[in-house]
Amino acid sequence: MTHPWTRIDRYRYEIPMSFRPDMRVPACFFSDDTLLESLGEDRSIEQLINTATLPGTVKHALAMPDMHQGYGFPIGGVVATRYPDGIISPGGVGYDINCGVRLLGTHLDREEIAPLMEELASALNTHCPSGVGKGGHVRLKPGELEQILETGSRWALKRGLATPADLERTEEGGCLSGADPAKVSQRAMERGRDQVGTLGAGNHFIEVDMVDEVFDATAADRMGLSPGRVTVQIHCGSRGLGHQVCTDYVKRFQKSIAVHGYRLPDRELVCAPINSPEGADYLAAMNAAANYAFANRQVLAHHIRTAFEEVLTGRVGNTGIYQIYDIAHNMAKIETHEIDGNRLPLCVHRKGATRAFGPGSRELPEAYRDIGQPVLVPGSMGTASWVLVGTSTAMDLTFGSTCHGAGRQLSRNMAKRRVKGAALKRELEEHGIVIRAGSMGGLAEEAPIAYKDVDRVIEVVHGAGIARKVARLVPLAVIKG
Amino acid sequence: MPYEEIEHTADYAIRAEGEDLAELFRSAALGMNSLIAPHPVHGGMEVAVPIKLEGMDVEGLLVDWLGELAYLAESRSMLFHRFEFEEISERRLKATLYGRTVDSIRKHIKAVTYHNLEVRETDTGLEATVVFDV
Repeated sequence: MTHPWTRIDRYRYEIPMSFRPDMRVPACFFSDDTLLESLGEDRSIEQLINTATLPGTVKHALAMPDMHQGYGFPIGGVVATRYPDGIISPGGVGYDINCGVRLLGTHLDREEIAPLMEELASALNTHCPSGVGKGGHVRLKPGELEQILETGSRWALKRGLATPADLERTEEGGCLSGADPAKVSQRAMERGRDQVGTLGAGNHFIEVDMVDEVFDATAADRMGLSPGRVTVQIHCGSRGLGHQVCTDYVKRFQKSIAVHGYRLPDRELVCAPINSPEGADYLAAMNAAANYAFANRQVLAHHIRTAFEEVLTGRVGNTGIYQIYDIAHNMAKIETHEIDGNRLPLCVHRKGATRAFGPGSRELPEAYRDIGQPVLVPGSMGTASWVLVGTSTAMDLTFGSTCHGAGRQLSRNMAKRRVKGAALKRELEEHGIVIRAGSMGGLAEEAPIAYKDVDRVIEVVHGAGIARKVARLVPLAVIKG
Repeated sequence: MPYEEIEHTADYAIRAEGEDLAELFRSAALGMNSLIAPHPVHGGMEVAVPIKLEGMDVEGLLVDWLGELAYLAESRSMLFHRFEFEEISERRLKATLYGRTVDSIRKHIKAVTYHNLEVRETDTGLEATVVFDV
């Protein structure tokens, strides 16, 4: 069967601009034979080619090895456009703006915590609201939601829900400048008001993990990771507020296409020049929603600290929890990258892809500047998650980007047909994983077989040099809605 | 059956049909309801909510229509099962929604997408496939 790509090295494939007349740059994706074969009928490669048609696109349109079909952009897509006259596209960020991952470290080993895991999981489930229709525990005063949108994690610091070290070890310090609550609709504000510090449902979760294996001793040591060490992951985003911001601007940008004379192969690729009124408004609204997500994960981290203290004080050595790092994997960022020897400002869209800045990057906290940015890749439920670091190869090849997770390969219905939630819960528990899940149907939808093999995805990014393995984590407890 | 659920890798999708626009919009709403709460347990009195929407085209109007209903499900835990259209065309609609609060919401619709969305004519009327981000 013919296909439009040629393999350029072990893990990289390229589709030339000549493949389709509307392509402005080549398309390039990272994969291997097995992952490529598992794509089947999935349209992610077609979507990748579509993103190569966007006005102002620079160098190449990219997709990571966990790619799968999305809206407009494939999940796992990375596209950089000229700033400020290139386009910005809400579809290149996703409906869940700043969906991301936070990794927390502890001073505990698995043996200390194992006898207390059921109790701890229940406490986490109580303190961290999850599931459909669950509001948060934090009551906001008038004007406070606007502060969250403007200042993100800094709001949490003022409220006593964060430490300065938490902010230092969050991408962007947990606060993107240029956020403007006035560009966020009333409906989005309404949806976000009661959801601060909530997990949501779907593929969002809190997970207590254990370090299974260390691959880079120096980097692991810097993060406080050693075999048997307990960590906690949070995977969630900007909740209803972010979803509404994306919906609002996808609608508003429909009109932009005619105004700017664009011809797009897919309506979900709607876009506008960054320096147009609607483009600038979206950037400001997106930054506001991103700040909401940073604050959301910060409040959840606070609740996790509370749960650990409540259950473990007096029963284990040190109940303290510290921040390792917090990353976004649905974002568009204004960054400077070297293209053909010139340093250029670009708008880098990462949709289901993670920033992976290499050693020496000024954007990184001092603790990590020499090793590279921590990259947090959650696996599917019950399987491994990974900690990596960004590399200078990523800066050269992918605008400092890498994968974000395992990527789905089965539909939710197919997963539910093959797997019953209650049976999956039993199986996970038999493997020593404690589960607190709000919905058995929701659990089945997130079954490991619904996802690609995360270890294989990691081998590709590590082998391609766009991230370097630091540690592999395995789950001890999963809390989800 | 005016709607059916179809396969989608990451999210939910339905195909809805109707002999005219009003029936298509009704079918799509009922189809989305079946994703939000497949076995609804209703409480309270029936409530009437007026709605007025304008879109760039019929697909945009359909996305806005379903988006309003998804928002009411999320914010007020309400599902609507009866619709009286005072006016409906490709770019405007004015209607009254009749529904109740429901206890058994299974899924939140994060967003209604334009993915593959096209209102098509068939032998029996109109059909559309809608994908929801969940």
